[in-house]
Amino acid sequence: MSSKRIPRVGVGGPVGSGKTMLIEQFVPLLAAKGYNIGIISNDVVSKEDAERMRKNLATERGLMPEDLVIGLATGGCPHTAVREDPSMNLSVVEEMETKYTNLDLIIIESGGDNITTTFSPALADYFIYIIDVTGGDKYPRKRGLGIETCDLLVINKIDIASIVGADLSIMERDAKIVRGDKPYVFVNSKKGQGVEEVANHITKYVLFDQPPRAITPKANQ
Amino acid sequence: MKNYDFELRPEDIGLLQLSDSFFPTGMYTMSNGLEAIFYGNKKSIANPMDLLNLLKVYIENQIGPADCTALGAAYDQIAKNNLPKLIEVDNIIFSMKLVEEIRNASSRSGTQLLRCVGSFVTDNLTMNGYLKAISAKKATGVFPVALAVSAHSLGIPRNKAALIMLYGFTVSMVGAALRLGILQHFDAQMIIHQLRNTLISTIKSNIDRPLTGIWQFAPGIDLIQISHEKMLSKMFIT
Repeated sequence: MSSKRIPRVGVGGPVGSGKTMLIEQFVPLLAAKGYNIGIISNDVVSKEDAERMRKNLATERGLMPEDLVIGLATGGCPHTAVREDPSMNLSVVEEMETKYTNLDLIIIESGGDNITTTFSPALADYFIYIIDVTGGDKYPRKRGLGIETCDLLVINKIDIASIVGADLSIMERDAKIVRGDKPYVFVNSKKGQGVEEVANHITKYVLFDQPPRAITPKANQ
Repeated sequence: MKNYDFELRPEDIGLLQLSDSFFPTGMYTMSNGLEAIFYGNKKSIANPMDLLNLLKVYIENQIGPADCTALGAAYDQIAKNNLPKLIEVDNIIFSMKLVEEIRNASSRSGTQLLRCVGSFVTDNLTMNGYLKAISAKKATGVFPVALAVSAHSLGIPRNKAALIMLYGFTVSMVGAALRLGILQHFDAQMIIHQLRNTLISTIKSNIDRPLTGIWQFAPGIDLIQISHEKMLSKMFIT
């Protein structure tokens, strides 16, 4: 096992809710602050998400080495891979931790799944669950472990809420009822709206506002 | 206790625990190339008997003479408390896995098996030594060896450790077939039932095989697994 556990954020949500795009939006904001980030993408039937992020974030923008974006197949069981049996994800995390000791953060994207998705605490320290307005404004009040228990609920695609007949005030009201004091963020990932708030949550509650390892005095010694 | 009862032992629980698909080893993520057969030529597995026959090839020509032999040899070295030889077995069986995804998946699965068992069997010298060798990259944690170490630490006999491995492989393959829609749930159980004698005879034929005689020969399956590894869209790790 690697010597030091690197903080991990799990990003889960239904198919098409915008998990990959959210990561593509907040990773550059964190990278701009100097944080070194690795990404593990669990896909249900392809490696498309991992390849897209590798191309966009690593190859074209140089925000990380290409081998720090890894795709994992889940045998058709995306929730099992991040909850009941996260063995394969944990192995890849350990490999990353061993190879890149100066990493600040590892993002683990679950495969698209249903509203009961949660992350094993052994795998993720912080859990972002993302839904979008196209499922209707009933989504938050339908509850489900993902919506109820995540550390940060992200409600995506707010730019098309009126088109699909979703009332954001209802979603906000129900998010508060279901989640109590736990935070939620309205986001339009495509335009980056609200994404900075997501990045700020990660900086504050996962990285505890610590400077990046690569530029801490200890790391430079 | 009736005369048709056996004395129950804690090791029996260990055997059930390690052979349960609920035990976290990540094996549900692999199809060993079955997915490529499904997408490439669905007619080649047209009924449950086709899958049964295919599984016999996997077991008798790949897992049996290679992994089962490695597990037996590893267990022997554990019993002798010979860590360097155990690591040698690890390196040999790892090098025999021709497909990179399968090599890596076997190591990842085995290492996580060890970490899990190591969380409740904390005072086993062989396990701790083997885990250190994995961290130092002297060993790979490949599944048959990791299972031998885990089973030995729980007092599970060698041949039953082999049974756990072959049964686990069979269940993961049948499970993959179920999720791919190749067969239905009664068929899956029928296949496991039909393979009973194959599993036992495979263990008997291979567990005492000297390490110098380890082999595998299933070139058709090798090619299928290589092609699966390259598939762009897939549900399973090869």
